[in-house]
Amino acid sequence: MDKREKEQYLREYGILKSQGKPFFPYAIAKDGTMALITVLVIMLLSIILGAELGPKADPTTTSYTPRPEWYFFFLFELLRVIKPPALVFIATIGIPTVCMVLLILLPFIDRNPERHPARRPIATLTGVTVIALMAYLTVEGALAGAPGTITLKVAPQYAKGKAVAASSGCQGCHKIGENGNAGPGPPLTHIGSRLPRNAIARTLVNPTAPMPSFVNLQKQHPDQFNSLVDFLASLK
Amino acid sequence: MKLPTPPGLRRKPARPGSQPPKNGNRINGGAAATKKELKQAQRAKLKEQALEVPISMLGWLDERTGSTPFLRAFLFRKIPKGTNWYYTLGSATLFAFVNQAVTGVFLAMFYTPSATQAYTSTRHLTNDVWLGAFVRGMHKWGATVMVVLVFLHMGRVFFFGAYKYPRELNWIIGVVLLILTMAMAFTGYLLPFDQRSFWATVVGVNINASGPILGPYLADFLRGGSEFGATTLSRFYAIHMLLIPGLIAALIGAHLYLVAKLGTTAPPWLKAEKARELAEEEI
Amino acid sequence: MLGAFEGETVTRRRFVTGGALAAGGVATAAIGLPALGFALGPIFEKTTHNPWQDVGPESDFNPTSYVPRVITLVPEVGEAGKTTIYVRKATPDDKSPSDKGKTPLPYVAISTRCAHLGCPVRFVQAAQRFICPCHGGVYDKFGKVVGGPPVRPLDRFYTRVEGNRVQIGPRFSVNSKLERFHPRDPSNHIDGLWKYLYPSRPTT
Repeated sequence: MDKREKEQYLREYGILKSQGKPFFPYAIAKDGTMALITVLVIMLLSIILGAELGPKADPTTTSYTPRPEWYFFFLFELLRVIKPPALVFIATIGIPTVCMVLLILLPFIDRNPERHPARRPIATLTGVTVIALMAYLTVEGALAGAPGTITLKVAPQYAKGKAVAASSGCQGCHKIGENGNAGPGPPLTHIGSRLPRNAIARTLVNPTAPMPSFVNLQKQHPDQFNSLVDFLASLK
Repeated sequence: MKLPTPPGLRRKPARPGSQPPKNGNRINGGAAATKKELKQAQRAKLKEQALEVPISMLGWLDERTGSTPFLRAFLFRKIPKGTNWYYTLGSATLFAFVNQAVTGVFLAMFYTPSATQAYTSTRHLTNDVWLGAFVRGMHKWGATVMVVLVFLHMGRVFFFGAYKYPRELNWIIGVVLLILTMAMAFTGYLLPFDQRSFWATVVGVNINASGPILGPYLADFLRGGSEFGATTLSRFYAIHMLLIPGLIAALIGAHLYLVAKLGTTAPPWLKAEKARELAEEEI
Repeated sequence: MLGAFEGETVTRRRFVTGGALAAGGVATAAIGLPALGFALGPIFEKTTHNPWQDVGPESDFNPTSYVPRVITLVPEVGEAGKTTIYVRKATPDDKSPSDKGKTPLPYVAISTRCAHLGCPVRFVQAAQRFICPCHGGVYDKFGKVVGGPPVRPLDRFYTRVEGNRVQIGPRFSVNSKLERFHPRDPSNHIDGLWKYLYPSRPTT
């Protein structure tokens, strides 16, 4: 903004200000009402949802699924989607730091004197895109399940196979419905319509690297192995 | 001893002819005629006597602080035309912070920041102390509400273009306040020391460790050593209770000072009508 | 200026101003430096290594599957200082290039701390994989990365056998060739040039 634009803004602002109302009581009334609503909402949330205290911190656990608080879900999801190990520090430090720096320097990046959203399309579009992206990542982070549960609903005769799949670590590399990791293995949600039953059994025993072989499961617990194959074959 | 009413608080005399005469239309006041007029006169006198006490107290303070001009300017300053409910988000955030501070003080009276006793003290507070669960719930949900309000406030300022001249410094202070709020959420989360707290903090500290060269040292600073140890919880407690709230309070003071000095912006869809009219007249 | 000679450089005003600034500097340093040192101190503290910990007789462990055991990483904090490790008897496949002709470690003790960001990994017997519940990290039975964002294999612990009992010593980190390094934090790469971006700290 050059000197002329600054002076013009200050002049217009002066006029609009003189046409306004005094802070007390008009703004104080609105602020007070909003403050009251805020406190009431906090109290209601405390009464209805309460403050649950989980089990005591146990660093020796191997079955717990750590999750951050909901307002960090967008960063959590970012860490899940950036898979190559060489890019890890970009997801953890790089992107958040760059965003913070851009945010701080915003008044110096955006020098357009226009303030109406319709007359500053770049700023408005960028803002809406960033908000939409953060909201999407937050929702995806909230839906990210633990690698030991499968929420897909199946007919009761496949329940045993589903339990075997959940406890055999398949979700470490495969997506089954909403749960599991999107790599390095292909999603198994519709594997039943892609491969016939005996092809599934063959792959489990003789897979392509890096998938491990489940030949031991077949030898030691053949009933579990068969129910697993039945379950996978039913995923059409 | 009755002090004279300070000049700032003295009521200005009414314009002549704007008020109905006190004694009816009698000249030089005659005897008070009706009962109604007597009652009105009595009520007016009582009101004046009742107001004498607070006014003279304020006058006492004003003589010793000289704060009336400042308060007048602050309380009765004009806010621009068109200020709507969106503008209340900032003070709502301040109120959420005050809620956190107050509930935090109450929680601090029962909490023990040691790795062996943090969980038991939190459980004792939640289950055995009267209203303990309620206050802890208010602190926990207050954190969520505050983060939501901070982001809404920032969004409002962004879309109204209120970070432009002359309010750039205020925006920068605001972004620093946002970062400090997220830091408060991060450090406070560890304190109950349950499973979720512990592991979320482990991951958070390791995220700091992932920065090249300096990262591991930053993680050491947060943890108080190379492993999660005896002083980690105390560090987080000190940072959460003393260091960051102090910074937040100071920055909120600066933020509010700038808001009062520079004024809040008018909504961007309002144009100063008079300016255009004047400009047209000139042409 | 009053009282100053012609060509005077250090006037009384300048002298006293300098003195005030110097005194202020000394006072600030006297308060600030100890506080800073106090806050930054733990970065430079040398970690005391736990003495060797006994985890059981040799008969408890076998070369084909991992057995979980609990050890103490940090003394004096009770449960918060413990961690789970997986122990397996070493096979000839577990030779490390760092052995260089000396006897290799008798047992393989793998840390459950994921090398991505420190979440607790779980060994799944059916798939012979270590699986991390947080961001999708998967390791094979040697602790090497087979999927997901972890940056190096799982950390291990020194092991020895003392009179038929297996004992666990300090932690060390490994690169993808299983060469031994000073212990690092999770998310620190070690392979190739990365080890210069994440050098070992003198305190660990």
